[in-house]
Amino acid sequence: MQKVIELTTPFCEEVISQLKVGDVVSISGYIFCGRDAVLPKIVKHATEGTLNEVNVDLQGSVIFHTAVSPAGVGPTSSNKLEIESSFEPLSKAGVKMHLGKGAIKSETVKALAENNAVFAIIPPVTALLESQTTDREVVCYPELGMEAFYRIKVTNYQAIIAAAKGKSIYE
Amino acid sequence: MNSIIDKVAQCLVTAGSTFREDQKEAYCRAIAQEPGTSSCWVMQQVLDNALVAEKNRGPLCDDTGIPHLFLEVGPNHQVTGELIEQIHAGVEKGLRELPGRPMAIMGDDSQRLDQSGGLNPDSGALAPSPMIIKSVKEDVLRLTVLMLGGGPAIRGITQRVFHKHSVEVVIDEIVNRAIPAVSQLGCSPCTLAIGIGRSQFEATSLMMEAMAKGNYNEQTVFEQTVTAKVNESNTGALGLGGKTSVLATFAKVGPQRASGVRIVALRPCCCFEPRRASVLL
Repeated sequence: MQKVIELTTPFCEEVISQLKVGDVVSISGYIFCGRDAVLPKIVKHATEGTLNEVNVDLQGSVIFHTAVSPAGVGPTSSNKLEIESSFEPLSKAGVKMHLGKGAIKSETVKALAENNAVFAIIPPVTALLESQTTDREVVCYPELGMEAFYRIKVTNYQAIIAAAKGKSIYE
Repeated sequence: MNSIIDKVAQCLVTAGSTFREDQKEAYCRAIAQEPGTSSCWVMQQVLDNALVAEKNRGPLCDDTGIPHLFLEVGPNHQVTGELIEQIHAGVEKGLRELPGRPMAIMGDDSQRLDQSGGLNPDSGALAPSPMIIKSVKEDVLRLTVLMLGGGPAIRGITQRVFHKHSVEVVIDEIVNRAIPAVSQLGCSPCTLAIGIGRSQFEATSLMMEAMAKGNYNEQTVFEQTVTAKVNESNTGALGLGGKTSVLATFAKVGPQRASGVRIVALRPCCCFEPRRASVLL
């Protein structure tokens, strides 16, 4: 049985700097959810310095690449163009953990390291995640339905660190 | 629960929420093979997820899939238009009950292609695919509901193989196609579904039958060989490396054409698939 590192959001710089590829983490607290449709909009706000206009504070945050539907949550592929291109600007804006699945490019791994952020893979275990999720609220862009930007409260979401300190689990 | 509508609805919920016993046993065997690894951790999470989903009769995955229907008809049973309508009504009811992820795209042909017509928020609005109807010797009217997710659909391949009068050539070509498909899928360990026939339609129909009838504890030499060769790739669960990229192969070989070509349909089913359940109507 692998050792599990307990983490509670928001994450501080020191906690993230100690994570390494292959670590299994257990995440509790509030996290954001967004995928293809909404992440480019959040990136635009981050680069223009207008996140406060949509009530988003990304400092120490986690972004889970998922829709939030009546069926629950589950990771989509993080290497889709609209999602992977959000890693660098959102890490610069304070996101400490990008949560999804799939191999990401070496440039993205490097950008994460430069901003002391990590990429973690979460298995697509919707039933388990549903039992570990309490609050769900739309933060902004409700017109996108299940692909709006959500904030959810989670307990003990397990994930494995796939990119940290310039290294990738897929190397 | 006697009506056909209710039976079909409950069958769909079971398909979307429940691992069969042979599926659980396959995971237990795979977990025992590589203890303490990242791959082991993933597979244990998938198995734990299945137990929670079964208990709650809720979705195994947030991509709840497109309903596909496989109907077996025995010698003393009839398929009528009314029966098909009741089956479709049962699918609609089951999708709402699971609940299925709302995935019905609205609009005309062009709007459905570019997704500009919007999304129907009703889970039950998702139309099932055309039904496969097969006559069987067993005196039953049995419906199998399969819930097919998007990831495997992206990576599935239906293409010809020139067999050169060798089964090994056919197997090697399947393996060559399966390894990148499994690697790109992400949600592994996979179950490979294979149909081999005389046309794209026939091969795909046979692949659906393989998914409807395959068993993790009953593997032919052909199936075992494909599984073993793909597992040599060391892709592992979620692509994290390991011995189990593929749990098993479900293959159905149909009639073949008197020529040098075989049509092979291949689907790398994700870690929850084949999500299926059967009911006697």
